[in-house]
Amino acid sequence: MTPVLRKRATEVNHNNARTRQGSLVLLILLLIMAGSPVGAQVKYEDILKGPAENWLTYSGGYSAQRHSPLKQIDTGNVGSLVPKWAYHVEVGRRLSSVPLVYDGIMYIGNSNEVHAVDAVSGRVIWQYRQENVTGGARANRGVGLLGDKVFFVTGDCYLVALQRETGALLWTHQYADPKQGYHCTVAPFAFKDRVIVGVSGGDSGIRGYMTAHSAETGEEMWRFWTVPTKGEPGADSWGPKTLDWGGGGTWMSGSYDPELNTIYWGTGNPWPDFYGGDRPGDNLYTDSLVALDADTGKMKWYFQFTPHDVWDWDGQQFPVLLDLPYQGRQRKLVVQANRNGFYYVLDRVSGEFLHANPFVDQLTWASGVDKNGRPILVENTYPEPGGVEVCPTVRGASNFMSPSFNPGAGLLYIIALEGCDIYISSAREPVPMVGFAGTGGEKPPRNTNQFFLRALNPTTGERVWEYPMTGPTIMWAGTLSTEGGIVFFGDDDHHLVAVEAKTGEHLWHFNVGQQLFSSPITYMVNGRQYVTLVAQTDVFTFGLFEPLKSIPLVKTTREGL
Amino acid sequence: MRLLLYSLLFALPLAAQNPALMDEVVRDPNEDVYIGKKEHIAAGEQLYSVACSGCHGPEGEGGRGPNLAIGPAAQNKRPTQIHRSIKNGVPGSDMPPYGSLPEDQLWQLTAFVSSLSRPAYEMDIPGDSKAGQALFYGKMACSNCHMIRGRGGALGPDLSNAGLQNYVLQLREGVLEPNKRITPGFDPVRVITKSGDTIEGVAKNHTNYSMQLIDRHGNLHLLETRNLQEIVFLKNTWMPANLTERFSADEIQNVLAFVSRQAIRVPSPDDAGAEKESN
Repeated sequence: MTPVLRKRATEVNHNNARTRQGSLVLLILLLIMAGSPVGAQVKYEDILKGPAENWLTYSGGYSAQRHSPLKQIDTGNVGSLVPKWAYHVEVGRRLSSVPLVYDGIMYIGNSNEVHAVDAVSGRVIWQYRQENVTGGARANRGVGLLGDKVFFVTGDCYLVALQRETGALLWTHQYADPKQGYHCTVAPFAFKDRVIVGVSGGDSGIRGYMTAHSAETGEEMWRFWTVPTKGEPGADSWGPKTLDWGGGGTWMSGSYDPELNTIYWGTGNPWPDFYGGDRPGDNLYTDSLVALDADTGKMKWYFQFTPHDVWDWDGQQFPVLLDLPYQGRQRKLVVQANRNGFYYVLDRVSGEFLHANPFVDQLTWASGVDKNGRPILVENTYPEPGGVEVCPTVRGASNFMSPSFNPGAGLLYIIALEGCDIYISSAREPVPMVGFAGTGGEKPPRNTNQFFLRALNPTTGERVWEYPMTGPTIMWAGTLSTEGGIVFFGDDDHHLVAVEAKTGEHLWHFNVGQQLFSSPITYMVNGRQYVTLVAQTDVFTFGLFEPLKSIPLVKTTREGL
Repeated sequence: MRLLLYSLLFALPLAAQNPALMDEVVRDPNEDVYIGKKEHIAAGEQLYSVACSGCHGPEGEGGRGPNLAIGPAAQNKRPTQIHRSIKNGVPGSDMPPYGSLPEDQLWQLTAFVSSLSRPAYEMDIPGDSKAGQALFYGKMACSNCHMIRGRGGALGPDLSNAGLQNYVLQLREGVLEPNKRITPGFDPVRVITKSGDTIEGVAKNHTNYSMQLIDRHGNLHLLETRNLQEIVFLKNTWMPANLTERFSADEIQNVLAFVSRQAIRVPSPDDAGAEKESN
């Protein structure tokens, strides 16, 4: 092993060998350095390759398969996985971010702050905290990486660019106005020369949109509205009362097909969440998957999972891009296990609906879908003042818990929540940005809700195996697949769990003792593979057991003391 | 019962003795009239230069009396505490009481002293900020090590938010006496690796087992101490300590004026609040 583990400096300062010529070279070097960025660049091509040593975007790669080719940790040795370090986020309350890793540095997002941590030792390199944020702390889903920059959004919707190795501020750009009901939590989605961000606030009335920004300056390049304005196509799917405040948040990151130059992004619920009387129609483009031209933001197609939603079933579960044979023909697919309980297979070139089937047993609002994928509604499932029991729950049959796909096993792994809620609603005047009090979902008196990790055949939606969880059904953690033949996932009892990819057999678990809101990742530094899970207030990193050799104390002096 | 009695006996005098506890309860209405108000700060500065600067220094930097912006005497001092110290003096020290001054002058003094520990950004420091900017990126070469919004080097702290993160005196001290205090994460250091290489720079973090270091060329090194032979924390930072010899007082003032105006986000009244539900 080289003594300097990660030395990108092309030269090291040899004090005793410095000549005048050397000083001159140093001076010229310093002059070049001044004003120019330091460190290696995260190239778009690096992100295109998908996860390996690094984990460069929310889902590891643009296809959102969350499958790592790393296999040092495999089914044979995962039993000796041990904690390597924990990093405490001082003001973390419910950390919801997926960390990114590049070149031995991990980037962790929290409300209005970013932490850069040595990915081997867990020691902090820099922290950036944005003070004076309107509206205080919000959830944060993580950062984006591109070039020499780290991107994150503040709760009040500033997109912020920091220098990757120092945390120095490069620029800020406010892309949504909190006075219009927006707040922001999204992990910026970086590709080519730009960054896409979205908005939250759909539960109290906003007009949803997403924007693309120049990675260099933050300047807005395009904007896509998830709710049309009067006169535009789709506007007639709303009544006049809520068109300007129809919701359609864009709070999860998306996926991207570079060949088709298309962004796939899920949109949130229509507003008011649980009362549809003031918004007659399908309420386009809420609860949908939208396919956008990556250069212009123009919509190529959309598919709406839950037309005229009255159960708060955002369409934000991660769209996974798969190239697989479908009924005998190789096709470009996009699949999603939706919050409404159906698993969908679409052609991602055309948006054509191919298949849907329930991925939970408890599904009472629809009896199935028609040939276009439109749900066939069951009567008396709309929320009522006295409450109506409907399955799945408000939280949904799945949610932002990340799915993953193992190409070798040919299986898609999703988190499913079996359960029902009592949905309550009543007619009242919608007041934008105030919310819609007195409506919502409550757990039935005897709560039998339960989480499962389920492995699906990705083209038929057939359940191949499942791993049931115990717990109070309060978790939000997702899955990670590895070439080592393992599915890692966070469970409902604070465990990081490893199961065998083909069978779901238990291999390993560790209790981190904290509630989980994020999904595991894996990376490699200096030839060692690590697995990281962000928990409620701390980040936990695991690796294979190695007996530690004694480390002698280094002679350390302080000049002048 | 006896325990309760003891607690009461002790608790009452403690609260009375501890001004911090008292101030939680008592807020003087004069605070709203005087504190942060430009005309009162200016009037207070006049009074200060006559009555106080002899001991506390012309800019509150300290002398016979303590520094009024940085250090123990300035920690968490609320206006009512400053007012009380001026009015009554500080028993056991050389600080005499100024109770003979009229109350409005006492509060003007309080307003000025309070302003010493307000963000420099708010203080409208005199000087030619534009000329300061030219010096920062040019002749004074501050940007070799300091960055502002992406322009500059990495060996010193990013100054994009310097006006909000520092009092005037902190900025001034940083420029004139750069070795007096070191910003966390910028400890000047030299390490010698087991293979004999020397790396000089600043330590971002350091334990018995690892060190994260940015070298003088701006490269980040993630080191394990098992690969190091020696660590030397240097007495002096990489910042030149002789700026006063090389630049005029006006030039230094201009740079201070420029740096003090750097702010990423200025506070707004809608700020703060506990974490909210969000999706």
